[in-house]
Amino acid sequence: MPDTAPSAGFWKRNQLRIAPILFLAPGALMFLIYVLIPIVQSVWISFHDWDGLGAKVWIGLGNYAELLDDDTFYVALKNNLIWLALYLLAIPMGLAAALFLNQSVWGIRLYKSLFFFPFVISQVVVGLMFTWFYAPDFGLFSQAIHWLTGAEVAILADERFVTLGIIAAGLWPQTAYCMILYLTGLNNLNPEQIEAARMDNARGWRLLWHVILPQLAPATFIAMVVTVIGALRSFDLVSIMTAGGPYGSSQVLSYFMYEQALSEYGYRMGYGAAIAVVLFLIMMVFITLFIVRMIAQERNR
Amino acid sequence: MAEVSLSKVTKNFGAVSIIKGIDLEIADGEFCVFVGPSGCGKSTLLRMVAGLEEISSGALKIGGRDMTQVGPSDRGVAMVFQSYALYPHMTVAENIGFGLRMTGHDKAEIAKRTAAAAKMLQLDALLDRKPGQLSGGQRQRVAIGRAIVRNPDVFLFDEPLSNLDAALRVQMRGEISRLHQDLGATMIYVTHDQVEAMTMADKIVVLSAGQIEQVGSPLELYHRPRNLFVAGFIGSPKMNFLTVAAQPVAGGTEVTLPGGGVLRLPGQIAAAGPMTLGLRPEHAQAGGAGDAVLEGRVKLAEHLGSETLFFVELADGSEIAVKADGLAPERPGDEMRVGVPARACHLFDAAGLALLNGDLTR
Repeated sequence: MPDTAPSAGFWKRNQLRIAPILFLAPGALMFLIYVLIPIVQSVWISFHDWDGLGAKVWIGLGNYAELLDDDTFYVALKNNLIWLALYLLAIPMGLAAALFLNQSVWGIRLYKSLFFFPFVISQVVVGLMFTWFYAPDFGLFSQAIHWLTGAEVAILADERFVTLGIIAAGLWPQTAYCMILYLTGLNNLNPEQIEAARMDNARGWRLLWHVILPQLAPATFIAMVVTVIGALRSFDLVSIMTAGGPYGSSQVLSYFMYEQALSEYGYRMGYGAAIAVVLFLIMMVFITLFIVRMIAQERNR
Repeated sequence: MAEVSLSKVTKNFGAVSIIKGIDLEIADGEFCVFVGPSGCGKSTLLRMVAGLEEISSGALKIGGRDMTQVGPSDRGVAMVFQSYALYPHMTVAENIGFGLRMTGHDKAEIAKRTAAAAKMLQLDALLDRKPGQLSGGQRQRVAIGRAIVRNPDVFLFDEPLSNLDAALRVQMRGEISRLHQDLGATMIYVTHDQVEAMTMADKIVVLSAGQIEQVGSPLELYHRPRNLFVAGFIGSPKMNFLTVAAQPVAGGTEVTLPGGGVLRLPGQIAAAGPMTLGLRPEHAQAGGAGDAVLEGRVKLAEHLGSETLFFVELADGSEIAVKADGLAPERPGDEMRVGVPARACHLFDAAGLALLNGDLTR
C-alpha cells in the first residue's frame, strides 16, 4: 500500500464497521431523547407528588395506591377495553371495503379516493362531524332514530351510548386505513394463483379463506398493530366530542392522564405520570406480542 | 373419452379481436401444442379451453359435452401455469391435495391420491416443505402434481418450462412426455419455443394473430409448410427465402435464381411471376453439389463442433444460412458455392402461399 495519512488509513480499514453506526446514530439519538428518557422520567415522576412547578415530594407508590381506589380509573380502563374490542371491527370492515373496491371498473380510482378520504382528514374534524351527526335537535342520526322509533336519543349525553358513539366515529377513519393496507396486499397477489384456485373449485368464501386471506396475513398483521395501538391511545375524539363526559362516563386512560396532569382540574403531574405508566404497561403487552411474532417470522424466512 | 373440439371460437376484448374464429379438433389422448410468436393468442386460446377466459362466440366441446358456459372447475380440465401459481402458505402435500379438499373428498382419499401423485413425480421426500423451499424444477413438479391428482380428462400447460434453465428444460420436457405416455390423457401445451413443439407434440397448431396458420404433425409442418409464416417459424435456423422468377415449363417449373442460375423444380405451377423460393440451411450444400449453384462470399462462420453454420452473402446482397460439416474449412471472406437441391426447395407465390413443397419424405 502506498503512503497515506494515518487518519485515511484508519477510515479505510474500519469503514465497514463504522458506517452502519454513523447511519444509525441520528435515529438512535432522537429515540433516546424523545422516547427512552421521557419514559424513565415519567416513571420517576410517578413516584412523586408534584404540581409541575414547585418541589417534588417523594411519596413512593402513593400515586398508584390512590389510582387503585379511583372510580374514574376503572371507568377509563373499562372504556379502553371496549375501545380495543370494538376498534378491531375496523379490520374486517376494511377488508370488505378493499375486496369491494379491488375491481377494475370505470372511475374506480375516484371511489378508492373517496373511501380513503376519512383517513386523510384530521381526527378533530371527524370528531366535530360526528358531534353534529349525533346532535339531538338537528343531527342526521338523531333525526333518523326519531323517524324510525319515535324516541329521542342524545348519543353523546347518554352514559349508555356515549363510548359506543365515539368508537363509531373512530371506526370511520380506521376502516379507511385498514382498507388501504388490504388494497396494497390485494395488489400483490399473483393473479395466476387465483386462477389456479378457481380451477381447484375454490370459489367465494372458500377462495377468500383458503387462498386470499393467508396471503394477506402481512397486511392483517399491520392492521392489527395500528388498530390496537390506535384504540389504546384514543384521545383526540374523546377530547373533541365529550371531554370525557357526561360525568366521566366516556373517560379513557390517555384523556384521564391529560385531565389530571395538564387541564384546569389541576396540575397533578405525579398522578398523571402514574396513569401514563399503567397505560404504557398495557401497551407493552401488545407491543411485546407483536415483536415476538415479527422475530418468529423473520427466523422462518 | 376426452376429445376437445372448438368450432368458430372467437375472443374479443372490447373492440379488439384476439381470437378470430378457431376451428380445431384434438383427439382423445393426443398431445397438442399451440405454438406461435408472442401476442398470437395461444395463451388466450388455452385459457378459453380452461374456462378462465369467456368465449365471446363459438362453441367448445370436451368429451362430446358442450362446455362453452361451464365453470373452470367443472370442465374436467387441470392447468399448469407458467408461474406455477403454487399457494405459498401451504406445504407441498396441501398444495397437491387442495383441489380434492375443495371438491369434498375425505381425508384418507386425499392422502392416498396425494401420495400416489407425489410418488409419480418423485416428490415423496418434499411433501412437508413449503414452495419457498423448493427449486424451480421441484416447484414445476408440484404444479404438475396438483394437476395429476385431480385425474382430469384434459391437461393444459401454459408455457410451463419457460422459467427453467436450459438443462432442466430438456429434462422436464422428457418427464412431461413420459407422463403423457403413462396417463394417456389429452394434453394441450402452449409454447413459443418451436423445439419444445417439435419434440413433444403429436399435433402442432401454429397460430399467428389469432388465427390458425396450419395444423399438423411436426414432420408434416417441417416438410409441407402451407405458407411463408409456417415455413419461417418451424425449423432452426430459419428457412432461407430467395426472391426468384418462376415460370411453368414442360414437366416442371423453371426458377431463375439471384445471380442468374436456373433451377428446375419437379411439380407444376399455373402461371409465371415473381415468387419466393424457400431452402432450409440444412439442405443447402456448401461446396456446390446440387441442381443449381448460388455464388457468394462467407460473411460469418459459427463453429458449433458438430456442424458449422455459414452466413453467405450473395451477389445481389441477400444473405442465406448454410449448415455444413463441423470441419468445413471456409473462413469469413472466402468465396463459397452453395448447391441447391431441387427436391428440397419450396416455392411460395406472391401472397405467401406454398405452391410447391420440397417434401423429402416423398
